[in-house]
Amino acid sequence: MSVLSVKNLQKSFDNLRVLKDISLSVTSGEIVSIIGSSGSGKSTLLRCLNRLELIDSGEITVDGDTMVSTENDKVKYAESPVLKQIRMKTGLVFQNFNLFPHYNVLRNITEAPIHVAGISRTEAEAKAYELLDKLGLTDKAESFPYQLSGGQSQRVSIARALALNPKILFFDEPTSALDPELTGEVLKVIRSLKSLNMTMVIVTHEMSFAREISNRMIFMDEGVIVEDTTPEELFNSANERTKAFLGKFHDVIN
Amino acid sequence: MKKMTKISVLILMMAILLMGCGKSDANKADTSLQDIKDKGSLVLGLDDAFPPMGFKNDDQEIVGFDIDVAKEVANRIGVELELTPISWDAKEQELATKHIDCIWNGFTKNADRESKMALSIPYMKNTQVAIVLTDSGINTLEDLAGKTVVLQNASTASDAMDQNEEFKNSLKELIKVDDNVQALMDLKVGGSDAVVMDEVVARYYVEKEQGTYKVLDTTLSEEEYVIGFRKGENALTEEVNKHLKDMAKEGLLAEISEKWVGKDLTIVE
Amino acid sequence: MSPEAILKLLQYMITASAMVGKIFFLTLLFSLPLGLLACFGRMSKWAIIREPVKLYLLIMRGTPLILQLFFFFYFPYYVIGTTLPRFHAAILTCSINYAAYFAEIYRGGIESMPKGQYEAAKVLGFNKSQTFIKIILPQVIKRILPPMGNEFMTLVKDTALVSVIGVAELYQLATDTMSQSASTMPLVMAGAFYLAMNIIVSKGFEFAEKKMSYYR
Repeated sequence: MSVLSVKNLQKSFDNLRVLKDISLSVTSGEIVSIIGSSGSGKSTLLRCLNRLELIDSGEITVDGDTMVSTENDKVKYAESPVLKQIRMKTGLVFQNFNLFPHYNVLRNITEAPIHVAGISRTEAEAKAYELLDKLGLTDKAESFPYQLSGGQSQRVSIARALALNPKILFFDEPTSALDPELTGEVLKVIRSLKSLNMTMVIVTHEMSFAREISNRMIFMDEGVIVEDTTPEELFNSANERTKAFLGKFHDVIN
Repeated sequence: MKKMTKISVLILMMAILLMGCGKSDANKADTSLQDIKDKGSLVLGLDDAFPPMGFKNDDQEIVGFDIDVAKEVANRIGVELELTPISWDAKEQELATKHIDCIWNGFTKNADRESKMALSIPYMKNTQVAIVLTDSGINTLEDLAGKTVVLQNASTASDAMDQNEEFKNSLKELIKVDDNVQALMDLKVGGSDAVVMDEVVARYYVEKEQGTYKVLDTTLSEEEYVIGFRKGENALTEEVNKHLKDMAKEGLLAEISEKWVGKDLTIVE
Repeated sequence: MSPEAILKLLQYMITASAMVGKIFFLTLLFSLPLGLLACFGRMSKWAIIREPVKLYLLIMRGTPLILQLFFFFYFPYYVIGTTLPRFHAAILTCSINYAAYFAEIYRGGIESMPKGQYEAAKVLGFNKSQTFIKIILPQVIKRILPPMGNEFMTLVKDTALVSVIGVAELYQLATDTMSQSASTMPLVMAGAFYLAMNIIVSKGFEFAEKKMSYYR
């Protein structure tokens, strides 16, 4: 069953066409990695899927709900109740964590379930502790973001996204802001989510990780999807652009 | 941006202009006296830092020559006297906007005021004098040539200076400050060489700080104190005049003058 | 001045300081929310709201408070034939004057917030007012405490200006007594009172900053 479906998505900034006719689909339990050099449009795609950018044309459907569609060249976003419902079904983990500095870890996680989803505080906190336990952060519940390492911060932000029980979780370069020795702990967490059958779309530069974890990999270049295939086929691709890009990561892959 | 600034300056100027021009009620019947009687009070506006005419004593009560006289006048009209301390710079506004009924606080008669207000008969004579430090060696106005004189802003002392062009031009500098005490302080600390102020007030301070100041013999101008009412409010003005005359006849004005100034300076006949 | 006169004056100064406190608190009561409103107006995407607010901010910050006091007390008489009581006019003027400064301080605080905070709140499903109240405002308050401290202290001192429209307060008491006694002692005493009040204000801000230092 398709959790995410994107058709003919277009997005320009001023006159610069950043996304040119993007179509893709993600089925339940699938893990899809999006790779590509910076400026290829992969982050913009993720932002469009999370409505942090509005699209110029195309269609996005999340878990059966149409977020946006285009008829006769007119983009039409859904009514706000539908958008809110879609919001609850998706989660986004930022490159820079974007934790709320004035709330402790526990409140960072429980604030949205309580005030957006309307779950009771007791229930939200129980769920938060469960997540913290799973992510190895139980002792950090009372800490404030400034007291956490980068890896811990990113794990908290993953917990925060998971607290709303999303159907699909997006990662926007989740390890790019981390020191190399800290990326491991975050990748480990993402791996553990795979075992929970979480549907994930990951924009990343961690090639070997992407290869290992993904069911499918998408290579984007200059605003188009060049390849959308299995990791094995991608890494053995005959496509010149794919080869050129992967060549830069040669030493990492072997 | 530039345009915006211009517009706001324009608006501000218009507003200030409007503030400056009062309404003229020339055609209206003069009900001023009846109005006062109806509301049962005469509101007297004063700069309560003007001893010995009107000022606050140690108990923060407003007292002085003008206050004693005004109390008696109000009493005779049959109304309460209400004292309202105002900013002296804003006295004309206070009167025009009916916040006060009269300006009664060592208010000097001049042509400008005569044209803009209804004035009572003069009740006290006053002169503008120069005060210097006792040990300054300055004895005449001529000695002040090339020196610095300080006086209270928006007071008749500055009018007196304008009337004495020659004296004014002989000075090195003319400084204006907010009030008389500040002027005296300026003199004391050597910021200036003389203060020009009302004789009545000057005598109060010379008395207060014995030996510090002296008043020069030559006076700059002779003037008279009057009470200022709104233009056209002649009925009220006449009523006050009548009571002042009565009080003069009874010797009451002289008595009050003795009490505050030490001698009789009143001139009501 | 005689010791008895000084002692008496001291008592009157305590009463006058209460007046300063009254002006201070009432002005804050009105100007703090009004400033926030003006701040939103200033940041509005609609020019029809933004431009008049900008003009208001320009005039209020661009002209002397003392002139505004004169204006708001006397001007209404020429338009509607009556004016506000002195004290009300003083509070009104101080409030709309300080609201203009507060608006810009709020704006500085709000605009200094990283975009990521808004985006994180948005993807978690917070609506606009929740985002502002729960996420942005608490952080803005921490950021604007130092400039707010400045304004609060200036306000304590600016209360001295209301005497121009005949509102009796500490400064006027001092200058009046100075005239009567021909002594500078009242000014020194008033200075001590203003200083004491501002020591309280600055201690209050120190406390607030400490309170907010639980996060960075």
